[in-house]
Amino acid sequence: MEGVGAKLRWWVEYFEEAKKIRRKYANWEFIKSQPPKLRVALEYFIEVGDLYNAAKLAGMSMEEFNELRIRAGIPSVG
Amino acid sequence: MSGIDEGKLREWVERLREAREIRRKYANWEFIKSQPPKLRVALEYFVETGDFRTAAAMAEMGVDEFVDLARYRAGIPLVY
Amino acid sequence: MSANAVADASFLIDWVKYSRSKLLFKLFEVVFISESVLAELRSEKTLTWVAQGLEEGRLAVLPEFPDASREALQLVSRSRRLPVRAVDYPEAYCMVIGRELGYTVLTENGGALAVRDYDPAFAGVEVLRALDVLYRLWRLGHLESFKEGLKLYEHETKRLYTARDLAKYGDAL
Repeated sequence: MEGVGAKLRWWVEYFEEAKKIRRKYANWEFIKSQPPKLRVALEYFIEVGDLYNAAKLAGMSMEEFNELRIRAGIPSVG
Repeated sequence: MSGIDEGKLREWVERLREAREIRRKYANWEFIKSQPPKLRVALEYFVETGDFRTAAAMAEMGVDEFVDLARYRAGIPLVY
Repeated sequence: MSANAVADASFLIDWVKYSRSKLLFKLFEVVFISESVLAELRSEKTLTWVAQGLEEGRLAVLPEFPDASREALQLVSRSRRLPVRAVDYPEAYCMVIGRELGYTVLTENGGALAVRDYDPAFAGVEVLRALDVLYRLWRLGHLESFKEGLKLYEHETKRLYTARDLAKYGDAL
């Protein structure tokens, strides 16, 4: 149990770090200039780092969304 | 079509007819008639049928965008 | 709290306007949104609500299953032959999923509600409108007054429940 708790805490911190990195490098000007559907999806991706659901929110394939997040300066971390 | 409950079917035909009456009654016709053709037709269609999906497509809007316009600006209550 | 639900566009675009929308998660563990429904949503408010739900793990995207998809198309086709409003694909898909996975279907769509009543293939599916959700929330003590809760909901969403709709909750109103 102790082992599992420690592993979980490690992962939580890992994902927190990843979120900070995505937030830091994101091009917010680009993001805010996007239409609502894409903007919400990009913001979601920054918060969660989840390409699958972000693509669904944007109504795009994962590949297309991946292109978009690159244009938005958001690194894929975590 | 086997097994269809005809009684329930008739009940729903009636409910949907009533719903149309309600939409017609409360709609802001002044607003609707003042809209550009595409949107006006979409709103009129929506009042008649309650079919938001087709109406949104006619208006070239997302369903949520269209329904927001219909309910908040055109005064059309959502019934079914 | 019952297990899971699947929500269609007609339910979601109303529910997100409700100031107490988070109460939905008092009734369901996870609410699924099918891809076809998600594809229809464009407004910022609705999408933000969905994004937050995904983030919090209370919403999940339901992929398209080929078998369910096929059956949904058959349901659409069948319903178009009847004199009552036909059911569209996104709602039909929710109904099939509701039956196959035992999820509660959340919808305001007349076509879908009617199917549940007249088509024996879907008689076992639990279908709830916001009216029914609010009633259950009240029964569970999450709403102080069903009548006031409903009035607020109708005011915020401009969803109108008719006397026929409300008849089953007569005692509570």
